[in-house]
Amino acid sequence: MTRSLTAAVARALGDIVGRDHVITDPDRLVVYESDGLTAYRVAPRAVVLPGSTEELAAVVRLLHGEGIAVIPRGAGTGLSGGALPTLDGVVVGTARMNRILEIDPVNRLARVQPGVINARLTEATRPHGLYYAPDPSSQSTCTLGGNVAENSGGPHCLKYGVTTRYVTGLKVVLAGGEIMELGGAGRTADGSLDLVGLFVGSEGCFGIAAEIEVRLLPLTEGVRTLLGIFETMEAAGHAVTAIISSGLVPAAVEIVDNATIRAVEASVYAGGYPVDAGAALVIEFDGTEAGLDSEADAAEACCHAAGAREVRRATEASQRAKLWNGRKKAFGTMGRIAPDLLVQDATVPRTRLPEVLASITEIGERYRLRVANVFHAGDGNLHPNILFDRNDPDELHRVEQASLEIMKLCVAVGGTITGEHGVGVDKRGYMKLVHGPDELAAMAEVKRVFDPTGLFNPGKVLPDVEAAHR
Amino acid sequence: MSAVSVPPGGVTSRLAQELEVQRERLLPCVHCGFCLPACPTYNRLGDENDSPRGRLHLMKAVVEGRLDPASDAFHTHIDRCLGCRACEPVCPSGVEYGTLLELARHTAAEHRPQGRLTRMLLFVMASRALRSLLFAGGRVLRASGLAALGARALPSAGVLRSARFGLAMLAATAAWRMPGVRSSRGVAAPVSDDAKRGTGRRVAVLTGCVQEGLYGRVNQSTMRTLEANGFEVVEVKGQDCCGALHAHGGDLDRARALAKTNVEVFLASGVDLVVVNAAGCGAAMKEYGTLLESDGDDHARARDLASRVRDVTEVLAEVGPRRGAAVECSVAYDHPCHLLHAQRISRPPLQVLDAIPGVEVRVIANAEECCGGAGIYGITHPDLGGRIGADKVAAVRAVGADAVATPNPGCMMQIGAGLVMDGAPEGVVHPVELLDESYRRAGYYGEPSTQRSPG
Repeated sequence: MTRSLTAAVARALGDIVGRDHVITDPDRLVVYESDGLTAYRVAPRAVVLPGSTEELAAVVRLLHGEGIAVIPRGAGTGLSGGALPTLDGVVVGTARMNRILEIDPVNRLARVQPGVINARLTEATRPHGLYYAPDPSSQSTCTLGGNVAENSGGPHCLKYGVTTRYVTGLKVVLAGGEIMELGGAGRTADGSLDLVGLFVGSEGCFGIAAEIEVRLLPLTEGVRTLLGIFETMEAAGHAVTAIISSGLVPAAVEIVDNATIRAVEASVYAGGYPVDAGAALVIEFDGTEAGLDSEADAAEACCHAAGAREVRRATEASQRAKLWNGRKKAFGTMGRIAPDLLVQDATVPRTRLPEVLASITEIGERYRLRVANVFHAGDGNLHPNILFDRNDPDELHRVEQASLEIMKLCVAVGGTITGEHGVGVDKRGYMKLVHGPDELAAMAEVKRVFDPTGLFNPGKVLPDVEAAHR
Repeated sequence: MSAVSVPPGGVTSRLAQELEVQRERLLPCVHCGFCLPACPTYNRLGDENDSPRGRLHLMKAVVEGRLDPASDAFHTHIDRCLGCRACEPVCPSGVEYGTLLELARHTAAEHRPQGRLTRMLLFVMASRALRSLLFAGGRVLRASGLAALGARALPSAGVLRSARFGLAMLAATAAWRMPGVRSSRGVAAPVSDDAKRGTGRRVAVLTGCVQEGLYGRVNQSTMRTLEANGFEVVEVKGQDCCGALHAHGGDLDRARALAKTNVEVFLASGVDLVVVNAAGCGAAMKEYGTLLESDGDDHARARDLASRVRDVTEVLAEVGPRRGAAVECSVAYDHPCHLLHAQRISRPPLQVLDAIPGVEVRVIANAEECCGGAGIYGITHPDLGGRIGADKVAAVRAVGADAVATPNPGCMMQIGAGLVMDGAPEGVVHPVELLDESYRRAGYYGEPSTQRSPG
């Protein structure tokens, strides 16, 4: 059972952020018991919603003084339980720190607060002919602070790279409430140690980013979007391998299987995928107009060679938007099939995609689980969606077993346990599949440099070593 | 140590039972969070208890017997929802939030009565006699100028704040004096036979409660423009308030009773369509099938009626409204939530406005976000409702149009109240009023008589 804060601590937090922005009523804390991964539920002792860097620092300082753990939270859309509270911890949310502080079109930089929604930054910079490249599927709702913590990817990261390539500076709040500036003014490597790079992807275990400076890209001149339709996942997998090995550099190559297609097509985000197809690929090329058509032609040829039933091209912006909406909202549509789902996240070498997909199907069948696949095929980043009902304990157990087997399979073929969703609490147990004791000790050592007392996000990412703080 | 409030004996409340029946509607929420940025209360408060996902989680906790439906958390956050349903079109899993909200309100109200004002209003609205008395009083206050005076003279803080807002809403229901219209606008003569075009369809118009009481002119415009577009408009006696206010307010019993009356009389009239000029009422009537789904024989009849309900702009846009004469003005357009989100209708009102020569339409920024009207939210939640309303008024004023056009009385009153309190020059108008004026000028109605228009 959750332990309430003492009245004195609750009052002190209220003095900092305003009483309306401190939640201590256990009934209201129920809402914060999960992030995007509902398989875990732990209600925190309190939720605090600071409105500025200064308030954030004062809150962290106070909690540090009280020895109360801090669980950072953005929009709570993470899929590895990274924002899962602990019984003894206080959630510090960035929802009210949602202002874009500066857009510098000349230097192509933007400075934002951590609660700014990813897609809103692109909306705000588009009038300047610029956009923010990393595009997680949850970009319409996830925050840039969360993106920094998770080093988020997205479909177009195949060509453009993940969050860390775009973060050029950070103002972070550390355990004692000190505010530290890392990088800044567009610097990525200026001769000093790359502390920005170290902080990005630290999953809330080092501190909280209070301000984020990111690099923007000029809007692309042209785009070609193809929809390849296949009878089987295996055929689609072969097409992916062929496209990548041909030397083409698509902006994105995404795959959806039949179960996903049916869920998406039943939703408001129907993308126009044929519901009888075994698999579909969304392939995109972007850049200067010249050459785009020949790249698209070459990819189309790869699809046909792999046995595609049909390859369509989006001729209008609205068609393209529909195809992408269908892909990006696919996770949410799974509620149509089952009440709960575990979105797994692993990467494998692209050449091994067809066999891995076949094995995942086999694992799902063996554990009597429904598995829907929708993922970033171009960079071998798998997302098997395991569907279940949390009220069925036996099924929940089978989900855990199947997850572990899928992870072991991916590692065995030379892959790893996460592509972009982070380790969080869900994959903490798999860390030893890919890291030896020395590496894990080194990671713990780095955490201690930023967070000597283990204040931030205890029980996440690192196995065992954090146990003392839980 | 502290614990979550659990009702004694687990899931026993009727609310919980009602919600339990709705498990299939609740379950599809996978907690993805795509609804958060669509929610006007979450955007302003940042508390997930005030987000659609959070409210669904509270409902789920009640169903699971983990949360007491009488708790302050459940009551406050369910009550604080505007009911704008902007979360529905963005939900990948298709959670029927609006229906769930009504059930949750019903449950919450059973354990903790609504505020006195809300209860009184719902009581009055359910009775034809009482509401005609209320609206008659309202029309006197409006016509005498007292409503407008009070809206400007009363203090904007303290106990009289709500009274001021209420009077501003009332003052805002006055007809907009369109450019080029003489001060005493007469009632038009019936549509002349040679001006009629035949579609062969018989339709009825929902006259409604607020619409009949304060916006009689919009009902008149609706009937005339429908006739001018070839519909045979049938008068249906015995129809009542649609019950939307009651359903949104958690009074499902009254809502169902009103719905049954309407199902009966409209079906008995044998019309092809029931045309509604209030987005909130249209949304409610299109969902009569859900409202009466556990009512046996009534259910099938409710679904039959629901399938015949259309918004007036839907019907006019479908036939491609005939063009009238020019009405030179600019209007700011705002989407009513119950048209855009609940009925998923976005283009028809704009098509109606586009069919009027001389009208220049300017869609306002964030036109898809709720204005904060939501019944009497501005009175029951003055702070938050005031903030949401002020943002909308600012967006309207930013486009510098002559008037704001929006096809729903709640939005007309809410935005209008904000404009009145600001002393702003912009008027408020329903799109069919403009179309009607365009037809009058074109001579489709013959020579207007000099008799005053009612309401």
